[in-house]
Amino acid sequence: MDESVSLDTDDQLAIKGISGGLELLSEMGQDFAASLDLDATLLRGIERITTYVGAEAGALFLLQENGTILRCTASAGATEITGLTLASDEGIVGRCVQTDTGTIVRDVAKDPNFQNAIDAQTGFTTRSILCAPLSVKNEKIGAIELVNKADGDGLFGDDDLNLLQTLSASAALAVLNARMAEALVEQERLKRELELAAEIQRGLLPEASDASFPVHGVNLPARTVSGDFYDYFPLDDGRICFNLGDVSGKGMNAALLMAKTASLFRCLGKTIHQPGRLLALINEEICETVTRGMFVTMIGGIYDPRHGSVRLANAGHEPPLLHGTDGSFVGFPADVPPLGVMPLMSPDESFPEVEIALAGGSLYIFTDGVTEGYLEDGSEMQTEGLKKILADNREQAAPARLQAVISRIDQKGTALRDDLTLLVIDDGTTYAERLADPATADDQPPAADEETSEMVLHLKFTSRPDRLKLVRNAVFDTAMLCGCSEATARDIVIAIDEASQNVIRHAYKGASDGQVILDISREKDDIVLHLRDFAEKVDVSKIKPRDLDDIRPGGLGTHFIAEVMDEVVFIPPPDGTGNLLRMKKRIS
Amino acid sequence: MEHQISEQGNVVIASFEGDVDIHTSPDARKVLLDCVGRKSPVLVDLSQVSYIDSSGIASLVEALQTARKGGSDLALVAVSDAALRVLQLARLDKVFSIYDTVEAGLEGIG
Repeated sequence: MDESVSLDTDDQLAIKGISGGLELLSEMGQDFAASLDLDATLLRGIERITTYVGAEAGALFLLQENGTILRCTASAGATEITGLTLASDEGIVGRCVQTDTGTIVRDVAKDPNFQNAIDAQTGFTTRSILCAPLSVKNEKIGAIELVNKADGDGLFGDDDLNLLQTLSASAALAVLNARMAEALVEQERLKRELELAAEIQRGLLPEASDASFPVHGVNLPARTVSGDFYDYFPLDDGRICFNLGDVSGKGMNAALLMAKTASLFRCLGKTIHQPGRLLALINEEICETVTRGMFVTMIGGIYDPRHGSVRLANAGHEPPLLHGTDGSFVGFPADVPPLGVMPLMSPDESFPEVEIALAGGSLYIFTDGVTEGYLEDGSEMQTEGLKKILADNREQAAPARLQAVISRIDQKGTALRDDLTLLVIDDGTTYAERLADPATADDQPPAADEETSEMVLHLKFTSRPDRLKLVRNAVFDTAMLCGCSEATARDIVIAIDEASQNVIRHAYKGASDGQVILDISREKDDIVLHLRDFAEKVDVSKIKPRDLDDIRPGGLGTHFIAEVMDEVVFIPPPDGTGNLLRMKKRIS
Repeated sequence: MEHQISEQGNVVIASFEGDVDIHTSPDARKVLLDCVGRKSPVLVDLSQVSYIDSSGIASLVEALQTARKGGSDLALVAVSDAALRVLQLARLDKVFSIYDTVEAGLEGIG
């Protein structure tokens, strides 16, 4: 009975090796699985293996830098060689890795091939070496090297190699798993960061407005983050500042430039109410700081619900489309390049602005992701397709119209080709209100801002040339009263005189019984003049300053007005008849 | 608007006073074209002009062109601040010969 249970020493060792090895494997496996710090886990692993196999020192080498070097990432026992690097085929470790086979050099003294790569660097005396590769299938990862058996004659045996190889195989799998887990964690982290960026981006867009609000927008990114943006916010005087832009490219860099441009607009747009000036300033800023080759196409503008007018500047963007109440579509192409392409000649310059009378219609601004979006049949939507959808849905409320366009491009299961962004300024509601209440039209100054403006002069006169001297005197005195310098007052007189002449000569065509109304108000630091007539509509596009190189009589008046005033626009008259010219001049 | 015509040697001097605007410029135009019609050099004295508009400026340009076509000349003298501002706006301050005084004008154009 004794014999049946008594085992010789070698057998005992083998059994201890196997069962203890399994225990160690299980512990290491758990350790690797639980740890997020691969290096610390590897260190604990090599310490355990070194102790378990009973070596004086142990080191774990991993292939790094595309497999060109072996770096000791953890070491245990008599030598501390963490960080030591070898060429990937150098020494016993290198050979073991390259041939993917375990190696034993039982007694280095008897091995003529042994070249000591490490002793030279450590001063340690190597007598016996065990080395087992770390590999999974065909993927080489590194190797574990143990040096000098701690007890007995200090030399390793074949059992030691078998044990180490078993442990190494498991360690290799653990390293690989840990690396995959690390990559997954990194991927997850990037994904979370991207989602966070997208959330911040969505925060930059305005919240969906009430159906009764005239401005609505929609943005659908092709990827997590978007290079498109839009924004709108009411100004203190009831007007609404809006923008829509498209940054070149997609992805994170486009998203960052989008965030910058959108923030600049929102910040500057609250104080600068000239879209052309605003875009010029943003252009300066982007030109100074942007990465080469990136640019932003953008439209910035202001909608005045009281007059149904939009004033906008277009920097290289798709032409906005005005869908009139008569069903017509009119485009307004850009005549300046996108932002970030070219600094303006002088920092005081502005981008050109266009004044658009919506007259109850809707102005659509959109990115090329919309017109170049694929429809169900694989064809591009194009501007014509967009017009058709808008026309087909004209009876719908503004947000539903935008949704109708989006739903034609955004098909379930297919990735978007580009970010989709649309903005609409719908003049329908306020137009109806303006029509219903024309009483405000005649005598009230149209753009009076209750809180900050003071009505200073209200003058009615007939369209007779001999009345203009009286008008000039009144305007001069009014301007002086508002605090203008004499020179500024004279300039304002010139503008009003020339504008009144235009009314008499062109609008009333010389008839002397037409009625003209002049309102002058002071709005903060500006003097604002409204000149109203009740003649037939003048084609605003035909009224332009003449070319000054062409010296001949006539055509000068409009040029004078443009020269001396800061702002000159024809705005739609409140009840739709006649013409209304609004002029503005800074008082100081 | 008032005006006066005088002659010094071979030079005709037209002096205007008051506002030359859409109401009065047809008269000013007639006066100016009469003057250049005499085929003599013309000096236009604008020292007493309190206001001139684009139609007044247009009359001056027409007179200048007529004078030059006829081989004569027209110059402005003693231009008031109000008139100078409008000439500058029209970029015509470099097109017209402008003299500070009638005497300087006579010397320059006579």
